Amino acid sequence: MRVAVVGASGFIGNRTVEMLHLGGRAEVRPIVRRVAGMALSSRFALDCRLADACDGEALARAFEGCDVVVHAVSGDTQVILGTLAPTYRAARQAGVRRIVYLSTASVHGQAPVAGVDERTPLRDDQVIAYNNAKVRAERRLAELHREGGVELVILRPGIVHGPRSSWIGGFADALLEGEASLVDRGRGICNAIYVDNLVHAIDLAASAAVDGEVFLVADEEQVTWADVYRPVAHALGFALDDLPEAIVPDFSAPRPVDVLRRSRAGRVLVRMLPGPVRATLAAALGIRHDDPADDPWALPSRRRPTVTQEMALLYRCAHKLPFAKATRMLGYRPIVSFAEASKRTVAWLAFAGYRPSRPAAS
Amino acid sequence: MPPPASTAPLGVALVGCGAVARLYHAPALAALARAGTAEVRALVDPEPARVAELQVVFPAAARVERLSELSRLGIGLAIVASPPGFHAAQTRELLGAGLSVLCEKPLAPTMAEAESIVDAARTAKGIVAAGLFRRFFPATQTIRRLLAGGVIGDIRRFDCFEGGRFAWPVQSPGFFARSGLSGGVLLDIGVHLLDLLGWWWGEPLEVDYEDDAMGGVEANCRLRLTFPPGFVGEVRLSRDWALPNRYVIEGSRGWIAWEVNEADGLAVGFHGSDVALDARLHAERLANGLPSVGARAWSFTQSFTSQLANVVAAIGGSAPLAVPAEQALPSLALIERCYRRRRLMPMPWLGAEETRRAQVLGNPPASA
Repeated sequence: MRVAVVGASGFIGNRTVEMLHLGGRAEVRPIVRRVAGMALSSRFALDCRLADACDGEALARAFEGCDVVVHAVSGDTQVILGTLAPTYRAARQAGVRRIVYLSTASVHGQAPVAGVDERTPLRDDQVIAYNNAKVRAERRLAELHREGGVELVILRPGIVHGPRSSWIGGFADALLEGEASLVDRGRGICNAIYVDNLVHAIDLAASAAVDGEVFLVADEEQVTWADVYRPVAHALGFALDDLPEAIVPDFSAPRPVDVLRRSRAGRVLVRMLPGPVRATLAAALGIRHDDPADDPWALPSRRRPTVTQEMALLYRCAHKLPFAKATRMLGYRPIVSFAEASKRTVAWLAFAGYRPSRPAAS
Repeated sequence: MPPPASTAPLGVALVGCGAVARLYHAPALAALARAGTAEVRALVDPEPARVAELQVVFPAAARVERLSELSRLGIGLAIVASPPGFHAAQTRELLGAGLSVLCEKPLAPTMAEAESIVDAARTAKGIVAAGLFRRFFPATQTIRRLLAGGVIGDIRRFDCFEGGRFAWPVQSPGFFARSGLSGGVLLDIGVHLLDLLGWWWGEPLEVDYEDDAMGGVEANCRLRLTFPPGFVGEVRLSRDWALPNRYVIEGSRGWIAWEVNEADGLAVGFHGSDVALDARLHAERLANGLPSVGARAWSFTQSFTSQLANVVAAIGGSAPLAVPAEQALPSLALIERCYRRRRLMPMPWLGAEETRRAQVLGNPPASA
């Protein structure tokens, strides 16, 4: 099987290339937008191609001879939606049998309610723009699929963790910068999937008789955010329990004044004003001068970070999404346990150059 | 300092009009042109669009297809900024035509080719400068002085981390092709880093090397180096993940830290102190007969310009050449030594079958 991976320079795309190639699962063809994106796939002697995922002609040339296309492109709404028709039609032109599209469990929202599964209707009027873009992407792909010519399987992974994941690296960086925090002490459920489990699902989705189907995929275990973050913190010498609780703003129906108050621009604006005006306006906007950086007399102290609405929702998720359909129709069972995934992730931190900033906390 | 303007600006040809020419050499040459010391008269590149882009900056420069045409244009210096695989042949040809050369790093992808450049320079009695412009940073020069002066005591160890997600606007996939022995992050970034370490401490006694190439070129590598009299340090380079981009040298009395490419800054700390020095470098001057600080020291971009200014001054005979080609040989020899002795980096996230295949792909039969 020859598999083209569009978005091969990204976290998931790269691991897909690596795992399918080293696992002998497929002849892999990485496809990247810029030459610089070849840096990781060039570790292997692979037939890496250049093509912008919005450029159908370039994609069609890159897909020639491939049986399967894995769409692992990440980006903003424009990229999410702009790459779909070119990819689908290029795949058809090149005679590709199937596209495996990486959607997201976030189409169900960051904090899905109990009972949500693949049959749950999707909404594109959610508060998070990314969710809406992915919902519209799935709908657009379904339309293209109705045109026919190429099979389509959609996977909905949740929080994809593991080596090179921004969830892991980002948290490690935040720890080292002194900016890491928790919401509700990390008790919320993380709908996690280790990247190898996702690639395993991709591999299954590439060949199973499941044309037109959509699958939620996840790790076996139900884990919390604290479970995900604790090994990372420990590896870098931090105790998760010592991290501050993040400030979670009230996100309900913000007034214009709230938007200004919460925005960096608003805070900068207030700081630039003359003293008396600043005090009056700050009081009116409810901006507190509790940042030691604003107080020339204050000794340095740890600040409490403020989380975004998306993160607040994610961190307060109360339900684990099911993957029973993937098990039933794809034969999907996670191949790496959460404990092993955490172990490999921590080992990658050392590989990537992260070192304990102090002796490991107990 | 830039050389004093001579009667006529030095004619310059840019050989290779890709990213390094566009982003670094062109603005530096434009600065020298404004100072009246250099004038770009020719642009050489097989891709007309790349030449046209630089002709916007240097409208008087002609597109030249053959190096043999350069001498008739009154050119005294050719800057070789083509892909490394072309460096040796082009530099030798330019020297043969009587031109001086500033050759971008790496001088060549193999020692044999690099030595052929040095030999050709000796035969032609010409000037060939190596493009190791970090030596022009006030910070790296200051670190050299601090180390030579024993300010932090006896060196105990060092750690150099450098890299990040690869974002250089390289235009040809050939950049990632194996050339010579290899052509990954060690040859690309390591050539700068190892040159600095050698400049500070001389030739290492021992080197241990591993990287993650599995049939292609490495995106990550790790070196463990022992320098005389026996202190050990680690170098970690990556095109994969953002590393701290920091060199730290620890001595018996204190430490020095340098943020990569921070041309005019460094940090110094002393053991037993609660505070460290975050130093910003300035020119030294006398004030009221006493030492004082003057203008800010050269920035990153000014350091690059000063490299070109030094080559122009050396050609004019008004300054010694700061980094002649032969000084690029030790770091290239070390890189070649690394590639010869390479072994696969442990990649602990790989599964058992993947690890087995990675070992097969990443540990080809040892070469001589």
